[in-house]
Amino acid sequence: MIEIKNVTFSRGPQVILDEFSAYVKNGEAVLLTGDNGVGKSTLVSLIGGFLKPDSGTIEIIGNDISKLKAHEQAELRSVAPQRRTFDLAFTVQQVLNFVPMKRRSEMTQGIIEDLGLVDLIEKKVTELSIGQQQRVSLALALIQDADFYLLDEPFAAQDKGSINRILMVIEEMKKRKGILVVSHNTDALRSHFDREIVLG
Amino acid sequence: MSTAVKKTFIYVGSLVILFALFVLSLRTGIVHVQTPLWDLIGKHTGTDATTVWDVRMPRALGAMIIGAALGIAGALAQGIFRNPLAEPTLIGLSSGAIVGTIAVISSGAAAYGSRTNVESAVLFAALTALLVQWLAPNKGFGFLLTGIAVSSILTSLAGLMISTSPKPDIQSLSFWNFGSLSLINMQTVKVTAPFIELGVIIAFFVSRRLDVYSLGEASSHFMGVNPKRLRLWAILAMALLVGASVSAVGSIAFLGLLVPHVVRLLIGPGHRRMLSLSALIGAIVLLVADLIARTAFQPHEIPLGLITALLGAPALIILLRAKRAQWVSHD
Repeated sequence: MIEIKNVTFSRGPQVILDEFSAYVKNGEAVLLTGDNGVGKSTLVSLIGGFLKPDSGTIEIIGNDISKLKAHEQAELRSVAPQRRTFDLAFTVQQVLNFVPMKRRSEMTQGIIEDLGLVDLIEKKVTELSIGQQQRVSLALALIQDADFYLLDEPFAAQDKGSINRILMVIEEMKKRKGILVVSHNTDALRSHFDREIVLG
Repeated sequence: MSTAVKKTFIYVGSLVILFALFVLSLRTGIVHVQTPLWDLIGKHTGTDATTVWDVRMPRALGAMIIGAALGIAGALAQGIFRNPLAEPTLIGLSSGAIVGTIAVISSGAAAYGSRTNVESAVLFAALTALLVQWLAPNKGFGFLLTGIAVSSILTSLAGLMISTSPKPDIQSLSFWNFGSLSLINMQTVKVTAPFIELGVIIAFFVSRRLDVYSLGEASSHFMGVNPKRLRLWAILAMALLVGASVSAVGSIAFLGLLVPHVVRLLIGPGHRRMLSLSALIGAIVLLVADLIARTAFQPHEIPLGLITALLGAPALIILLRAKRAQWVSHD
């Protein structure tokens, strides 16, 4: 379980999260929603261990995430951030190879197929559309073997077909894992998730 | 031609060119060597043997080792600062190393080519990189401009130390700013090589993580690579590579900037391959530059940095304008 306990986080004078608590259980897909700027991506960065809370704790399977090293955190949770910078002309295959074999999920090939990346595998990421780059970024997070997956705006810049395919992958993965998905476009999605957490 | 064959061809071709240039460096110079090189192997007496083994050999070896070091340092700098214009000279590493070198020589604490000299250059290069990183407002142009500003201050400081130093063997500021292999001997090569070797080992140790880091700081952390720790390792490697090089031959412009761009076009952006080919191409470029520097205007020798800038700057402009430039600009 991911347990967020009384987390407060400020940026300068602005309090973004104030004594916030929530949880995500194994085997459920939770939708995290809220208006722009309420701190959805900040919360993902906090759970992902990239940011540290001012007070409160975030535990994943009983481990305080802020006390773990980056590679130890990566074994517990995998994150698809809202934006990755694809600066260098790696091929899609080369980017996916950033995940070492021993850390890859057994569903890797299926995820690549389901996300429609097979035809793009030899293409350079710098030459892909924003939507295609988003799917590569998503695949990069999903092919890592972890207990929980945090996906920040995975549906952004996707067409209807791609949204359905991503939902299918989430449906399949939540059978064994816990998933937290950030999205601001909730109406069409709500029915695919077990619960919704509204921020702000 | 398949990608694997093409890559092998590029590596083997570079090695052959490097070897040919190395032999040419031993054969070419003001003194005309009449004995074939083959016949000089194992001989240490006579003008031809001493010219080749005592004068040209250390110089050619030095050019290869330092060219390789600067090529790798450039690839590391562009990778770790995620900026295609990051280069040891531009971001202040070289001028930091010059100050470190001149400080110990002008104070009489150590002589040129001594171990203390190299250590001081490495230390100052590392401190400068950390200072630029700390002062820079952002990673783009702000970072580069901070590097250029810090570099100017340090170059002025170096000039001040030189002009007030009573030591006659300190060399001129232009020697340190434009670089020259004229002082290098086997002792300098022996002293600097271990520092460069250590820098190379660390560079390869972090190379795979640099690939992950290209996706951004947060992304890198999420994938299990600690960005702060990676930056410290990379700065240590760059300080060893650039500090040791600069302490021996001064600052050599453009090599560290140009070589990684050429290499990326040849074999793609993966850092492990990039570092090894940057070493080979860096060695080739410096050997060529040194050959031109000491033979083009005989008997005068021109500063090495002038040649690398004259060859490197136009080549870089052509490369950056090429459609195949392998770096996306967000500016």
